[in-house]
Parts: sequence; C-alpha cells; structure tokens
Amino acid sequence: MGKGFYTLFKKDCRMLASGKFFLMAIGFLALYTAYVNLGYIRFMQMEPYNVYLYDPAETQTSKSSLVQNVPSMEAMDTALLADANGVGLDASSGDVRVVIYKGAEHIDHHRADYALSLLQPLASHTPEVLGTNTPEQKARKEITCELLFFELAAVGFLGIAAVMFKEKGMGVIRVHAILPVRKDLFLLSKLAVFLLSDLVFAVLLTLLNVGFVDGAAVLPVILLQTAILSLMMALVGLLCALLLKDFRQFTLAYLIIAIFVATPVFLSANTSVKFDWINWHPFYHVYMGLKNAYFGTAISPVYYAGAVGMIVLLFLVVRLAFHREIGKEG
Amino acid sequence: MIEVKNLTFSYSNDKQALHGLDFTVEDGEIFGFLGPNGSGKSTTQKILTGILKGHGGKVSLFGQDISAAHGQEFFQKIGVLFEFPYLYANLSAMDNVNYFASFYPREQRRDVGELLDTLEFKPDFLKKPVSSYSKGMRQRVSMARALVSNPRLLFLDEPTSGLDPSGAVLFRKIIEQERKKGTTVFVTTHNMVDADLLCDRVAFISNGNLVALDTPKRLKEKNSNHQVVIDYLYRGQRETKTIEAPELEAGIPFDHDEIISIHSQEPTLEDMFIQYTGRGLS
Repeated sequence: MGKGFYTLFKKDCRMLASGKFFLMAIGFLALYTAYVNLGYIRFMQMEPYNVYLYDPAETQTSKSSLVQNVPSMEAMDTALLADANGVGLDASSGDVRVVIYKGAEHIDHHRADYALSLLQPLASHTPEVLGTNTPEQKARKEITCELLFFELAAVGFLGIAAVMFKEKGMGVIRVHAILPVRKDLFLLSKLAVFLLSDLVFAVLLTLLNVGFVDGAAVLPVILLQTAILSLMMALVGLLCALLLKDFRQFTLAYLIIAIFVATPVFLSANTSVKFDWINWHPFYHVYMGLKNAYFGTAISPVYYAGAVGMIVLLFLVVRLAFHREIGKEG
Repeated sequence: MIEVKNLTFSYSNDKQALHGLDFTVEDGEIFGFLGPNGSGKSTTQKILTGILKGHGGKVSLFGQDISAAHGQEFFQKIGVLFEFPYLYANLSAMDNVNYFASFYPREQRRDVGELLDTLEFKPDFLKKPVSSYSKGMRQRVSMARALVSNPRLLFLDEPTSGLDPSGAVLFRKIIEQERKKGTTVFVTTHNMVDADLLCDRVAFISNGNLVALDTPKRLKEKNSNHQVVIDYLYRGQRETKTIEAPELEAGIPFDHDEIISIHSQEPTLEDMFIQYTGRGLS
C-alpha cells in the first residue's frame, strides 16, 4: 500500500509541476508578500484625512500638529480641490466652520468629527486598548488571514479540479480501476499533495507577512486551520471535477462558489455587514477559525468535531463519485 | 479460467443490460466477444474486470468468485487494453509504461524497452510526450501497458483499432504469442477479420443475450449452403457456374477449356452475426 501511494504521490507531484502549479503558488506568494509589505501596510499607516485650517486671528491655540495652516480661503479651496478627501476648517469668523467636498453622508460626519477633534487633541478620550497587538501587527494578521483564505479557497480548489479534469479527459482514471492498488489511494495521494503544498504556503505566507516571532507563535494552530480548509476545498474541487462534464461547467460552479460562498463570509467577518443566516454558513466558521488562529483566540472543540465530520462526509461523497466515474463508458 | 452462469445486470435507470449470459473460457484460449454498440459487451467486460459491481448470477475467474476477487492479487493477474488509448499525454511512452508497471511486483514485470521494441514502437519517440504520437503509436503504448505485468488473463477491447494493416498483423502475432505462453485472451471486437483469424471460439451478444457461441469455422460451416462458384473459359467465352460442392468429388462436371477461379460460398462471420441477431456490427 505504501509503495502504491508513493508512486501515485510522485505522479501527482509531476502532474502539478508540469502544469506549473508550484510555480504559480510561488508567484502568488511573492505577489501577496509584495502587496502586504509594499502596499497594504503603508496604506494602513497613512493618516486618514488631511486637515486644512484658515485661522487669521490664531484663535486655535491647542491644535494638533497634524493640522496644516493655510493663509487664505483661496488657498484652502486650492488645497481641497487637489485633495478631495481633505477637510477644511474656517475659523476666520470666531466659530469654526467645516468645509468639505460632499461624499457619503456617514463618512462626511466622520471626516468632520475627526478634523474638529484635532483642534483640541488633549480633550480627546484615550480609548482602552484590548489585546496586545499593535495596529501594524493587527493589520498584518488580518490581511494575511484573508489572503491565505483566498489562496486555499480559490486557487487550491481550482488547481486540484484542473488536475482531475486533465486525468478525466485523458481517461487514465479508468486505467487505475484495473491496477493492483487500492482505489482510495488515487484520491488520497492528490489530497496529500495539495495539503502539503498548502501547508508550506501557509508557513511561508505567515512568516513573511506576520513576522517570524509573531508568526511562529501562532503557526501550529494556523496549520491546523489550513489543513481543515485545504482538505475541504480539495474535496469540493474533486467532487466538482468528477460530477461536472467539462471545465466550462466548472468555471460556472467556481463563479457561484466565489460569489455566493466567499463574498458573504468576507463581508460578515470583516465589515459591519451582518447576515442573520451567516451562522449557518459552514465557511464562515472555517474563516473565523482561521482568523481566531491568527489572533490566538480559543477555538471551540465543537467546531473541530464539525470540521472533521464534514471532511469525512465529503470524502465519502467524492469516493462514491469516483467509483461511478471509473465505471463509465469510454 | 472464466466461468459465467446466468449473468444479469441492470443500470440504475432499471434498464436491464444483460439477460442471463452463460459461457466459459478455457485456460489458454482466445475467446472473441462480438456484438454491436449497446449490446452489453462492454458491461460484461467491466464485470469480468471487477470494475462494475452489483451483477446477478455467478461469475468466477481463476476459480474464485468475482465478488471476492477485488483485491490486489486479482488485479495482478489481469491485463486490460481499453478501447481507447488511455495514457498520460504529458509523459513519454517509457514514463507511462514504467509508471503503470510500478504497481506490479518487480519479479512479474517485463522489460519496458524490450516490450516497446517488440511492438515496433519508433525509438525516436520513446522519450517524447504521448501528446505528439499518432493513434497507432498510442495503441502500441497501451498494448505495452497491458502486457507489461505478464498477465495470466488478458482483456483486449478492439486491439487493432487505429493500426495500419501491418500493425494489425503484428498485434495478431503478439496475441498469438501470448496464448502460446499460456495466457488466456478475452477479445471484444467489431473486427471480423481479427475474430476470424485469432479466436478459438466466438460468442455473439445482442441486446444482452448470447445468441451464438462456437468456433468461427463451425459457425460458418453450419450455415454454409455448400455451393461453389466457378469462373471458367469455354470456346473463348468467360462463363460462371454455381454447383453443389460434393459434385466436385468426381472432377469438374461440365465442359470447359480453362478454370479461372473456384470460390466457396461459405458465409462470413458478419453474415453469421446478422443471421443470428438481425443486426449489423456497426
């Protein structure tokens, strides 16, 4: 059994290498790392809005150093014209008047409040800070978690389905039906290749983007969550490849999964948008499991039991579809 | 080697594909299984190779019931050539055959290079990917895959499909050599020439029923009208006459100057098939 598995594993690695899958994974890793370190983190560290103050009588004595003085209302107009997100404060008449280009109403309120708070920074309340993560650590963990989820849910899923469609198209699946090897190993070797590839990807992505010390501390739990998501997505990918007729049909299924499965999960987990039914969405729990792993939050044993149950169930369904496929006409 | 008694099979849509087949295949025999598309021959072969389960009746191979013969030992003893050359298109002939061979015990395997050489595979293509091969070359690699494990029982589905006439002759010679080694061969084909030249016995299957089973020679003889057609020259004229074969025992029973040809009116296997089933083989 061990030798048969090794032969299948070696063949699957070769198939993936010839399909440039590993090269693609390295490319994605480089792309994500560049995005996080050169784009996202810098963007998150930027001050939210520039604030311009016209105060000829210098009435605002305790203002923050973030406030930029302008010599005239014309100069303020010019500044706001070039920086439409900026906020102007006109203190020329004694009272402070807010001048902005209109955007979304709730954002405009936020911009105005922020600008006014800079006039009296000492009066602002210092919020209680929960957790030990710095804003940068928090941002790094959040974005790394999102990218890893996307990679496992979309790219890995697509990769395993592509390999299966290739073998289905070549008809070699049927040859394995008459080989002296346990048929389940054909599926298990594929799952093993993708699991291993995803685990290596998760280690590198985490260490490169969260940092070695912070990343290593949470890595065991992240790998466990990666394994859960990787196996689930690989099994869904295999099932789609076995049940659907061709890659075109698969692309439609892929769109449905991307739109109806992934979007509500991202919205519910990362924004203020909440759906009443999101607790019934299995991938919401998987995503939250991954996020909790990055932030070192405890994960319920019920979730683990559910995840294992789901993986076993998916494997049995895939096995059934596989046996149906090998018995088909040529 | 193969014993089939009252074999029945239905697909999930309740369409009964096989209606109680009975036949046996002896050790070292080349057995032809002929039938038109949809007649049930692929279903039968899938049951015999352990791919399809859930059949009725009794099927035993190597003296063991097929239901209990799904282990590795069973698959080590059989070789299967599918109707289409199922190969990894990105791998070469050598890599394909070596890959499939690696599932069998080392002592059972044949030398891949020698085997491909026997099959007259072009040496220049040994290390090129299968995607660059012609249909005939792919069929040769598939045959090498089926033979590499030295199987005791060989299932061949349309073995000469995609081959040119010299390739077909070579394949028939190789199948004959396998039989001489003691291999039992179960051939599923549409090709009447293959069936006639290769098979010790042939079975005709139609709509899931076995409608005839005998040697090709006896099947033809049984249905022959025992007539011969003679083309001859007489007084400068070319003429044709049909006579009963026994009349020839005393010589040509009519005046003639020169005999051009004598043809027996024996039916072909295809004629026999149509006679038994009322359907052609295409």
